[in-house]
Order: sequence, then C-alpha cells, then structure tokens
Amino acid sequence: MISDIVNVIFYLGNCVLLVNLRRMRLEKCWFCSSTVYPGHGIQFVRNDAKIFRFCRSKCHKNFKMKRNPRKVKWTKAYRRLHGKDMTHDSTFEFERKRNRPERYDRNLAENTLKAIKKIDKIRSDRASDHIKNRLKTGKVQRQKEARKQLEQGIHLVKAPHALAQDSSLCLPKIKVNVSQAQTEENQPMEE
Amino acid sequence: MIQPQTHLNVADNSRTRELMCIRVIEAMIKEAIPNTPLERLEVIRAVIVYTRKELKCDNGMIIRYDDNATVVIDQEGNSKGTRIFGAIARELRQLNFTKIVLLAPEVL
Repeated sequence: MISDIVNVIFYLGNCVLLVNLRRMRLEKCWFCSSTVYPGHGIQFVRNDAKIFRFCRSKCHKNFKMKRNPRKVKWTKAYRRLHGKDMTHDSTFEFERKRNRPERYDRNLAENTLKAIKKIDKIRSDRASDHIKNRLKTGKVQRQKEARKQLEQGIHLVKAPHALAQDSSLCLPKIKVNVSQAQTEENQPMEE
Repeated sequence: MIQPQTHLNVADNSRTRELMCIRVIEAMIKEAIPNTPLERLEVIRAVIVYTRKELKCDNGMIIRYDDNATVVIDQEGNSKGTRIFGAIARELRQLNFTKIVLLAPEVL
C-alpha cells in the first residue's frame, strides 16, 4: 500500500499549509539489492530508458566497471543464485510492487504497519534458519575432523593432571599471608 | 555541463538529429534528416532533458543520464515533435514545460 499524495493540506492550528509531497517509494539497488531510501543514491537512465538505481557509490562504481552483480560475491544476486540465501518463501509475496495508489484508510494503514513488522520478523527468522541449516553440515564435518585429529595425535596431548604436575609449564604457587580484615572506621589518608 | 559549442542529441521525433548549443537559450541545428521543414544550420530553441552530469532533485534524488539530449521547442515552450523518447525528470513540469512532460513515456 503506497499512498500517492500529491497535495496534502495540513491544518496547523488555525493556519493552512499547502505542502507538495512527492510520492515516496523504497527502491531496490540494482547492484546489491538493498533498499534505497529517498535522498540516497543515484539513478542512472540509460539511452534505452532503462533506469538503474544504486544505493551508494560503491554499487554505482561497480556498475560503471561493467561488473555483473551475479558474479560479485557480496551482492544479494550472487547469494541467491548460489543458494546462500533463501530464495523461495511465501513472505516474499507480500513485497510485490504495487502501482495503484490506495486511498488512505486509517485502519488499513495501522494493520499494514503491524503486518509489516510481523512479516519482517518471520522472514528474517526463516532466512537465518536457512543459513544455519546450510552451515550445519560444515560444522558436523569440522567436528568429525577434529575428533579424528585428536585420536591420531593423542600422543602429543598431555593430560591435564600431568600438566599441573609439570613445574616448567605452570607458574609457581606462592603462599601469601592475608592481613586481618580492616575495621570499617574511616582510615586517615596516607600522605 | 552544457556549454556553447556543445553538441546535443535530440530526444524527440522533430526530424533533427543533433544540435549545437550556441547560447544557453538557443541552439543551432547541426544535423537534420533531409527533406524536412527544419533546415540545417537553423537557429532554434531546445530544452535540455538529459545530462550526463548528475541532476539533483529537490527530493534528494540524483539522476544521471547516458547522454546529453534536448527536445526541440518553439517560442512558447511547446515541443515541435510529437513523441519523446526516454524518461524525463520531474523538474521539467515545474519549469513550465508541461507539454513535454505529458508526452514523455515515463517521468522520474
């Protein structure tokens, strides 16, 4: 739901303010797919009238270098293509681009804001689960390798008890006499 | 940055292909499709619609085009052609070039 308000009349106390509001839309950066907020980034219009939006000069410069975002590792395009990030999920359906402006309805606006929050949370949870699952196999593999290494190299490992006994490896234990607890009276400051 | 002697492309179908800016207000046709009402080396008016240099809009948006292009207009500011190619910046509406904005296929 995006309101395309062109002229909004604000009543401020007893004076009337006529404000010319532009339509505001959160775009996606063409290169890295992050959101471009109003006032940020550069839009480039190619001669075939295709518009490229960039969130920051990093993406803009990469575009000028003619880099393909699908090959640049830190972009969303690469990550989705190589299965690093979640691609198919029902939460993505909510974020379709809508071109019809909707008449402002207070209830609708309120519900939409609540829904956005909830859907965001669900989507980010699912995305992090996806990544966790992806990394799980690697973790298991690493543990297996570590266990194998331990078995093979057990002769290099010294038992903790033996370590403590070996005086060359630990600091000497010194006995320190603790003085009696001082009374709570205010002691005069040492000069 | 458009200066005198800058060659500019034309973004409408007014039968001219290339203009040279002679003054900040006016331009001279450098190249035109033959057999058209507009003659070569005729001095005409044109409004610049695309610049390679970034244009900062007052809503914070910055637009850059691939090209420097103009639209041929007459004395009142109405475009001479009937079609305009490409996306036009919204600023043109504020500068009273509403006809051009209406003809444009997309307004940024």
